[in-house]
Amino acid sequence: MVFTSFEFIIFFLSLSIFYFSISIKYRWKLLLISSLFFYGLIKPIFILILLFISITIYLGSILFEKIHFEKYKFYSFIIILLITIAPLLFFKYFNSINQYILTFFERAPSKNILSNSWLILPIGISYYTFMAVGYITDVYNEKIKAEKNLFMVMLFISFFPLVMSGPIERAEKMFDQFRNKLFFDYKKVIYGFQMILWGMFLKLVLADNLSLFLNPIFENINYSSGKTILLAISLYPFQIYGDLGGYSLLAIGFSSILGVHVRINFKRPFFSTSMSNFWRRWHISLISWITDYIYTPITFFLRKNGLFGIILSLLLTFLIAGLWHDATLPFVIWGLIQGVVLSLEAITKSSRLKIFNKNSLNNNIFFKVCCSILVYFIFSFSLIFGGPFESLNECLFVIEKIFLNNESFSFSKIELLKLIILISLVLFLEFKQEYYPEKLKLFRNKNLLIRWISYLSIILFIVLLGVFSNDNFIYFQF
Amino acid sequence: MTKNSVLVKLTNIFREIFNDREIVINNKTTAQDIDNWDSLTHMLLISKIEEEFEIKFKLKELNNLNNVGNLVEIINTKI
Repeated sequence: MVFTSFEFIIFFLSLSIFYFSISIKYRWKLLLISSLFFYGLIKPIFILILLFISITIYLGSILFEKIHFEKYKFYSFIIILLITIAPLLFFKYFNSINQYILTFFERAPSKNILSNSWLILPIGISYYTFMAVGYITDVYNEKIKAEKNLFMVMLFISFFPLVMSGPIERAEKMFDQFRNKLFFDYKKVIYGFQMILWGMFLKLVLADNLSLFLNPIFENINYSSGKTILLAISLYPFQIYGDLGGYSLLAIGFSSILGVHVRINFKRPFFSTSMSNFWRRWHISLISWITDYIYTPITFFLRKNGLFGIILSLLLTFLIAGLWHDATLPFVIWGLIQGVVLSLEAITKSSRLKIFNKNSLNNNIFFKVCCSILVYFIFSFSLIFGGPFESLNECLFVIEKIFLNNESFSFSKIELLKLIILISLVLFLEFKQEYYPEKLKLFRNKNLLIRWISYLSIILFIVLLGVFSNDNFIYFQF
Repeated sequence: MTKNSVLVKLTNIFREIFNDREIVINNKTTAQDIDNWDSLTHMLLISKIEEEFEIKFKLKELNNLNNVGNLVEIINTKI
């Protein structure tokens, strides 16, 4: 039951009516029951994983507060951490490891070992595992106190708007909201509807139309010309943005209606002026989680090595980020590309800043847009490895074809024109928000008529151009 | 060492790490207030503070830092 489906809208509407008709003190319990029901619909047995992780981190966090001897506390933290991430590691990497074993044994006489891919990755397991890891680490670091109510921990892990694909939230913020803030707030409800509307547009109109155009090209690279593949790769970041960015807005919107504020996950990423700036705007909740729980410990450990330590930390962090997407060579290369580009930026940072200040480039919109275009193409290029192609051979074949194949474009020009208009619309609105936030307000205009014209235009776009047959989200697979 | 003298010494370290002789810090200063103070330069700063004050931080202590005032308090408990 995905957020864009009719079933979900019915589920959410009935839940909301019941939710606001009961006393505020029971609302979090209703949220827990609906969240377990929602996740159980995917596969009832998957609820056991949510329960297992919830109980582990609930007991673990209480244990940390009982142990006063630092060394024992550290050991118990490591054990609880390993138990918490065990289901993720098992479901995520068992198939890959099994695949490697199969490939190895195919060369040997006997093939009678485990069949391939018998495990299905429980949707969202990465996201709720990351939230669980964040929680126990924060309790271990004495940043927050252990939650004494197991069911509250369960709700934090299973909260249905976030369970399938984030945004990855922090316990500190969520417990307080679940306990004290689940009241009806007109402003939050309106904000929620606005986010849902724009999220539906990004997903159903932008991402799914791009997917109809791009998937056939990616699936038939043998028959597509080099220029066609180049164009497809150049458009692909918009598909992911529409898909995950749209999903995130839907999650934020549905949460907001229920009274829960959830952090934004994307902040106009295509207007980033450097790669490090890009990673502060793209999949923000994941990157901030990675910064706090992976990058910071690594860089702390390597801090005596100066700039070299930071570069090594960046490379290791993005290597882990790549491996998290998938334990394959292309994703390792994707991670390394990000790590290398960020390292180069770190090395040249102070000299770049000096040049920018000297030539007053920091406030030059033209210069900033040029930087954004460069960042966009670096990111697009990296997606050859971190995107639709499965094997390294395919990725290399794609690069070779882009550079060496001179055949002309082979696709519907009208379809492309439609996509370019949609992308231009998104870019125009984001350009306005980025550089002229106070001008031409649409959803937040004080004039009721302009607000409603904006809402109705987006609805019209969704009805006329939305793709309603695709119920898949790219980031569910991670 | 008084809190003020810690702050004076810290100011010099900040000026060196961020390559800006005009930086002025106080207890309420946060990473938002100083250009270039991000996750990349943060650990260079921490390492330099450890070296200058001859102390060692715990990761746990750094995770709970909110502003320069917190930093001064932690340094004071260690010198």
